[in-house]
Amino acid sequence: MSQIISSEQLLSLIRELLPTKNVIAPVQTDNGQIYFQTLKESDSPLLTEAMKAVNTIKEFFFPRHEVLYTFVRHGNDVDVIDSVPMEKEQVIFGCRPCEAASLPILDPLFAWDYQDRFFQIRREKTTVVTLACREADEHCFCSSVGGSPDNTSGSDVMLYDLGNGSFEVRVLTDKGKSLFAGKTSSSQETGSVCDTPVQKFDVDAVQNWLKDNFKNPFWDEMTYRCVGCGVCTYICPTCHCFDIVDEGSFQKGQRVKNWDSCQSALFTLHASGHNPRETQGQRQRQRIMHKFSVYPEKFDRLLCTGCGNCTRQCRTSLGIRPLLEAIQKKTEEN
Amino acid sequence: MEKQLRETAKKLLQEGTVQVVIGYGRVETGGIGAIFVTNPDNADNLVWNQECSQNLVTYLTRKEIRKLGKAAIVVKACDARAVVVLKNESQLENNDVVVIGVACPGILNHRGSGDPVLQARCETCTERLPKNVDFVIGDESVNLPPLSVEQRSRKGNYAKLAKLMAMTQEERFRFWKDEFSRCIRCYACRQSCPLCYCNQCVVDKNRPVRIDTSATLKGNFAWNILRAFHLAGRCIGCGACSEACPAGIELDLLNLTLSQVSELEFHHFSGQEPGTAPLIGTYSEGDKEDFIQ
Repeated sequence: MSQIISSEQLLSLIRELLPTKNVIAPVQTDNGQIYFQTLKESDSPLLTEAMKAVNTIKEFFFPRHEVLYTFVRHGNDVDVIDSVPMEKEQVIFGCRPCEAASLPILDPLFAWDYQDRFFQIRREKTTVVTLACREADEHCFCSSVGGSPDNTSGSDVMLYDLGNGSFEVRVLTDKGKSLFAGKTSSSQETGSVCDTPVQKFDVDAVQNWLKDNFKNPFWDEMTYRCVGCGVCTYICPTCHCFDIVDEGSFQKGQRVKNWDSCQSALFTLHASGHNPRETQGQRQRQRIMHKFSVYPEKFDRLLCTGCGNCTRQCRTSLGIRPLLEAIQKKTEEN
Repeated sequence: MEKQLRETAKKLLQEGTVQVVIGYGRVETGGIGAIFVTNPDNADNLVWNQECSQNLVTYLTRKEIRKLGKAAIVVKACDARAVVVLKNESQLENNDVVVIGVACPGILNHRGSGDPVLQARCETCTERLPKNVDFVIGDESVNLPPLSVEQRSRKGNYAKLAKLMAMTQEERFRFWKDEFSRCIRCYACRQSCPLCYCNQCVVDKNRPVRIDTSATLKGNFAWNILRAFHLAGRCIGCGACSEACPAGIELDLLNLTLSQVSELEFHHFSGQEPGTAPLIGTYSEGDKEDFIQ
């Protein structure tokens, strides 16, 4: 016995939530692109189009720009006004399992030496309704990093598109339960997912290779074509680097937290002028090392969910998968 | 054509004229990407077809690529203009690079659903056989008859620009506000642009901060408009910026606005003539002054 909901009922649930909560789903913008956005009354959410979305749900937990506090000077005194991270609760509909899976990966990072309440409050106040995958493209590699087309990690509810205008609803947490309480009906139908993407590399073998190959011409040779645009990091659901800057004037301003990218030369440029990562190969190595070596050592989990966004959106067809496949080949040569 | 391209590249490498050939090839993912051929035996990996969209000239000023030695580069007609500008702006010496021009029938747009169509920028292109290059691969047959300003304004990006300029100031402002609101400040536009070669970009200067680095409307307007100004009279219309933009911002329209002014008001065609001085930074007694009121 399963629980199902029709797409009309799902849309009316979304409409019901709109006045009191921020509801986020993929929407087509005027320029034809698909974005995860906070829905307005007039928007028509595209619940099954997450794969085509330009952005990921990351920005609803870790926004591209966030004001930490505002400061105002009065003579010799300074008032510091704290920001309120997020007042309303939010519900995300239609993200992919590989995006939801990034959330528990990021939790320890934002609760390590510093408790980042901006991230944590958003996590507490968000319900994630994920759509199990019915399609995988050539860039998907979730199975290579421990995921699957209906990996439940990070989700509160998993929906399965039945292909007939209805979704099977599998509730995973209490948050998910209260969201769908009384909204579903019993059925004999159960959902299915696409074939699991073929495993592209062996994580253990790759990690072993990384240990001994910090210095290897491979890094430069593989990444000549990278122009350092950093798009891979911005559309990655797990990349989380940020920069803290003050903006405004001497009298009044804000301390803000903005996304940053390890692919930019400025990222590691010292005040002395020395740059420990002066080539793009070193910057790409950093990205791979962070995801497959440093982060797992520190937090016991990979910093990659195999979503494939980095390659899908790379104008030069680079990203994690081509690099790790090439490393895999190297391990087989030895 | 591909055969001729590969033979040319192979010969340049074999004879030691260059140490690396920057061209297009099939990369690991099966797509087209830039490849850097250093071994003459690998010259056969070079490809040329209507998928070869990227302007490779951006690599000529990258430190990592310069380390590889003297380069030959595969360029389309539009890309060739970028090489001319780099030389005019003293970023390259004539002997620094061997330029292999390929006749281009126009590049197809593979983004979005449906069958690929000619890219908007290619619809108004009539200069499809590269000029000011060392080798030309392919022949005249790709070139199209010149378009008058009036004919041009009905096609491709010029048609989009004409529509934009026909709007009221408020409508136009709203258009750019919508576009810039999507900017995430990744600077993919700058990184892909063959003419954004500054060692330190003004947006990266923080003592003092000149432009907010925040992806707010204020910061985004400042960044995108400033970048357009820095390309005034320089942009060669290759569309690398728009193509790189993950947010699909129509940056080529912004640049085209300024190119059109430099063409129509100052008769300056960027990258057409070797040895011309930059438009900004050159004073001529014939310059119009009717904007001073």
